[in-house]
Amino acid sequence: MKTYFYKYLVSFLFIHILVNINLLCLASNPKDLPTKDNKLGKRLYFGLIKTGDNTVNCASCHNINVIDTFNWNPSIADLTLSTKNMDSTTFSKILLSPLGKRISDAHKNVQLSADQIVLVREYINSFRKTGLEPPKMKINRLLLFIFLLICIVGISVDLVYTQIIRYKIIHVIVLILSFVFILKITIEDAISLGRSKGYAPLQPIKFSHKIHVGDNKTDCFYCHHTAEEAKSAGIPSNGVCLNCHELILEGTNSGKFEIQKIHTSVSNKENVQWIRIHKLPDHVFFSHAQHANVGKLNCSECHGDMSEDHLATQSADLSMGWCLDCHRNRKVNFESNEYYKGTFEEYQKKFKDKMIDSILVVEVGGENCMKCHY
Amino acid sequence: MARYWKSLNNNSNKQKKSKSFPKATSRRDFLKMFGFGMASTFVLSRCKNAAHKAIPFLIKPEEITPSKANYYASSFFDGDKFNSIVAKVLDGRPIKLEGNELSPITNGGINCIAQASILSLYDDTRYRNPIIDNENVSFSEIDKQIIEKLNQIKSEKGKIALISSTIISPTTQKVIDRFVKKYPSCEHIIYDPISVSGLLEANHKLFGVRTIPKYYFNKAKLIIGINADFLGTWLSPVEYTKEYITNRKVSETNRDMSRHIQIESGMSLTGSNADKRIVINPSDEQKIVTNLYNYIAVKLNKETIDVASCNVDIAEIGEELLQNKQQSLLVCGTNNVKTQLIINGINQLLENYGTTISFKKRLRTKQGNDRLFKQFIDNLQLYKAVIFYDCNPCYNSLFADKLCDKIKNIDTSISLASVPDETSILTKYVCPSNNYLESWDDFIPQTGIYSLSQPCILPIFNTRQAQSSLLKWISSSDQYSELVKETCKKEIYPKTDKLLVFEDFWTLSLQKGIVEFTDKFVNPRFKYDLSSISIAETKELKPELQIYESVNIGSGKYANNPWLQELPDPITKVTWDNYASISQKLAKKYDLQTGDIIRINQLIEIPVWIQAGQASNTISVALGYGRRVSGKSGKNIGVNIYPLLAHTHISIEKTLHNISFATTQQHSSMEGRDIIRETTLSQYQKKTSAGNERHKEIEKHHQSLYNKYKYEGHHWAMAIDLNACIGCNACVISCNIENNIPVVGKEEVQNAHEMHWLRIDRYYKGNSDNPKVVRQPVMCQHCDNAPCENVCPVGASNHSSEGINQMAYNRCIGTRYCNNNCPYKVRRFNWFDYNNSDALSGNLYDPNQMTNDLPRMVLNPDVTVRAKGVIEKCSFCVQRIQEKKLQAKLENRTLRDGEIQTACEQVCPANAIVFGDLNDKNSRVYKLFKEKRRYHLLEELHTLPSIGYLTKVNNV
Repeated sequence: MKTYFYKYLVSFLFIHILVNINLLCLASNPKDLPTKDNKLGKRLYFGLIKTGDNTVNCASCHNINVIDTFNWNPSIADLTLSTKNMDSTTFSKILLSPLGKRISDAHKNVQLSADQIVLVREYINSFRKTGLEPPKMKINRLLLFIFLLICIVGISVDLVYTQIIRYKIIHVIVLILSFVFILKITIEDAISLGRSKGYAPLQPIKFSHKIHVGDNKTDCFYCHHTAEEAKSAGIPSNGVCLNCHELILEGTNSGKFEIQKIHTSVSNKENVQWIRIHKLPDHVFFSHAQHANVGKLNCSECHGDMSEDHLATQSADLSMGWCLDCHRNRKVNFESNEYYKGTFEEYQKKFKDKMIDSILVVEVGGENCMKCHY
Repeated sequence: MARYWKSLNNNSNKQKKSKSFPKATSRRDFLKMFGFGMASTFVLSRCKNAAHKAIPFLIKPEEITPSKANYYASSFFDGDKFNSIVAKVLDGRPIKLEGNELSPITNGGINCIAQASILSLYDDTRYRNPIIDNENVSFSEIDKQIIEKLNQIKSEKGKIALISSTIISPTTQKVIDRFVKKYPSCEHIIYDPISVSGLLEANHKLFGVRTIPKYYFNKAKLIIGINADFLGTWLSPVEYTKEYITNRKVSETNRDMSRHIQIESGMSLTGSNADKRIVINPSDEQKIVTNLYNYIAVKLNKETIDVASCNVDIAEIGEELLQNKQQSLLVCGTNNVKTQLIINGINQLLENYGTTISFKKRLRTKQGNDRLFKQFIDNLQLYKAVIFYDCNPCYNSLFADKLCDKIKNIDTSISLASVPDETSILTKYVCPSNNYLESWDDFIPQTGIYSLSQPCILPIFNTRQAQSSLLKWISSSDQYSELVKETCKKEIYPKTDKLLVFEDFWTLSLQKGIVEFTDKFVNPRFKYDLSSISIAETKELKPELQIYESVNIGSGKYANNPWLQELPDPITKVTWDNYASISQKLAKKYDLQTGDIIRINQLIEIPVWIQAGQASNTISVALGYGRRVSGKSGKNIGVNIYPLLAHTHISIEKTLHNISFATTQQHSSMEGRDIIRETTLSQYQKKTSAGNERHKEIEKHHQSLYNKYKYEGHHWAMAIDLNACIGCNACVISCNIENNIPVVGKEEVQNAHEMHWLRIDRYYKGNSDNPKVVRQPVMCQHCDNAPCENVCPVGASNHSSEGINQMAYNRCIGTRYCNNNCPYKVRRFNWFDYNNSDALSGNLYDPNQMTNDLPRMVLNPDVTVRAKGVIEKCSFCVQRIQEKKLQAKLENRTLRDGEIQTACEQVCPANAIVFGDLNDKNSRVYKLFKEKRRYHLLEELHTLPSIGYLTKVNNV
């Protein structure tokens, strides 16, 4: 019986290790090695070869890695895409004497010879297939988890076969501690499974909520105009963007590059593929119309202050507890809506008699399962 | 109390050990699963959530709001039955068809086939490209070849045939006329799979018009149906049901109803609703009708017809008819011209023409001519080209075999089918047509009514509307949609009141889907001497064959529809099969039991079903099954009976084989309880609580230690009028489509695992040779004292503040305690992952490929798709309640009664279901709950259901 137990334990741990090694392998995606020309191009891109006064290099503005911060300048992947169909003279013209204000400021000290431009372009184009380089691995909970697993395996082996450590109490302590931490990691990760608070992916167009909402004071409902009438708030179509950007062609921070994407997508009839941030599970039915229009909730109550950050971020964890908190404590706009007044006659009477001064969402069925799940 | 009994057949649904269930889990498996579970939890949690895309429109069309449905009025016509429909289109996909309430024909009702036809839009087997000799080609290529061939035939003066089912579209007719004009040797031949040529010929002889008059079932006090299933399948069942039911509903203020006598051979839907049902063998039909004619003629001093006497008590019926002169209606479903002539004669004697029957409105949905079609088949070798337009004669005609053999000899055979069928696979050219939801069209189903059909979605595949193909082949550049508009402008608009300019009229007509126009027509004179008819005596003793159209499958065009296949037959409750219904007497004679397979005329092998109320010497078989070429759900399901269409007497022999049927009602018996309460009209007229005396008594005994629920806002409830419900299944299919109810397949139905949230229970009463049938739709009763709620260990089933018994799928852990504790057996358990919605694969059970990408498009995004291991049940269509509540809040008003319609209520042709708010004292449901007829199912259990039934009243 005892041997059986160890067998299972070992096989169980083995599965864990196998799975995790697989994961690690997946994470370090091998890349095509740069060719010799690319090496030269790369050195030029990073400013390692002296050209002109050499105060600027491409890499200082145009990132080649996946980053999680907001960079106004186009990344190298953006560059290779946007220059895809350009002939070499246009390319060098844009590089050396561009038209836009923002870009000409940035590029004014760039001095590259025609050959060098070709090399740089080749280097840029090498990213067309591969995309941006992945960020460097960081030591995280995964490594800790693996370490703990190794601890367990090692200490178990020692306990049964090698018996190097004399005091059994050490085995017990290490085993218990490792188990506890493994359990802790698993549970915490399980809870966060499917939740993504703080998720703020980079979007295909560097749209800044800070500039539109914060600086320019655009109303949320101007762009997300179905929020008042439908379940979905709606990602604005290019048509909505063009209402303003038909005329505003250059941004202070991004220059012409980002705004141009709106126009290109319309002329190419290619929809912009935004990355979805807020995603409720399929069995949850949430209506923006109910909350934003009927409930008169401020958008920021769920979405945080969008005017503070360039990147749209998920500010709430969108868990059921978070929903219910509000459903239990929030007051309904009882007096201002005929529906509530007419439907809940008894409450209405109490209102009139000044017996109550507010009705909570929970009192009009805010805790019903089938309010949201059906 | 009358003795109710459940079913004659106790050996269907034989308990077979299902192969699909895994064996019990061993300790080793448990440890493996446990370890893997732990590992996968961790792995899943480490993975970054996959990035989901949110892709907006480039330029958003004004009328489309994501997540908000648009409704388009349209029309359904499958060459057989017409329905006015409203298509619900959500995020670009049509997902549900409902009845159009503005239609004067169907008045918001819709039958099962029309509702289920939405799945044919997402049929995986559809043609995706034009085809020449089984090779995909482009339209330009196929057009070039066909035009070349047609011109060649034209120059050689060869014959061309255009075969179609009935055409009721004026614009299509015009296109065909233009086609015939361009190719003058072309003949347009119309045939109906289910022919009413007999009726048409009889009318032609008597009135000089080859047409079907309008029957007013609402104006008749006495309705006599003779082998005509007018509530289920005959001509225009939805329309007739609407009218029939207006006279059948009783209330405190209106205590009168019409009387319905059905004379028939097999138990039909209509017969099961009749007040009096007389069982006859089909061969006696003519004799009985003639005797009836003679009885009335004698009384009215008119000439009689020579005929032998019959064994049915004619005098009783005759007297009743004479009492209801001008207020009676005789309809007969036979295809025999003589019988139809005599039926017309009786209606004429009773002066029903002009009152209950009128030629001012004429039904146009059946125009087939059996004679011309037979001529075509006989002279098939003369035709150089045949075009099959929206028809499948290689399956659904009497001459299918003949045609199949000879079709290959025809030089140019063209099919315009949209789905591969028996005919199109044999033709050289296939020019696939759009689905009707992708097409423009117009229809005149009845004179004076013009109905439009508009596309709800762009063609999914590389297909082209059949009419456009014809236009192309006559080298016309006209757009079919423009032609429809032109027809409307030139032919319909001038006949209306012309209050609007045409463009506005057109927009409004498209919006409403249907326009009424004046059609001048004088009632034709009766001109025929009936006394010259001679009735031949039949002396055949062999069993008789009656072929009928099933309510669910119809002519078989939509046989590849798993929803329809899994819909229980209204009478037998059998799914996924057709069968030969035989009487107990015949079963005894041939030593047969339900499920035994018999051979008919050495030709066809079919299982038998012993049916109560079946004529003693008659075997009834449904059409529409046994498709050879079809998708998975229709192929080789049941037996094709079209080859025997012309046979009246058959020889049968028993084989050694048998099958087990999948029926949904074996396990339901009233067991002596008054589940369905009934009374007679005379008693009801005296006392409205007749038959429902126990209700008061039981209510006195209701006591509870618990507090009653208090419903502050709404208290949803539903009233079901058992007197109105005819059991047509429209509600069941509507519920299936609205609530994403999975199809489980025959084997699972046999295991009693069908998932329907709404079922219609059927009980027989009295003599098994001719029993009375009662029916009751049963869904979750939404009890205030719900037995299911108390036993749920995780609170997944609980009570809402609006009286709904809620089911939270994600909380359910599948103990099935609730299922066990529900006295109504309305909870369904997902034994497998029927919807492909589990996170981990491997549990999928999808015998009918409903989870493929294309059929999945029909899913309603407003209803959760349930995974394996959870209980589900009727939710009172809470998604509709929520939608309309929100609408009211947005418009700053209270809800209107009738605004929220559950899926079952919306489509009911009989308006038997009424949903509403009991807290609203003016609501219809509140008033119905105040009726003395109201009772609850098993109310003695003190479950306090929110569904109230109204007792059935029989006019005996």
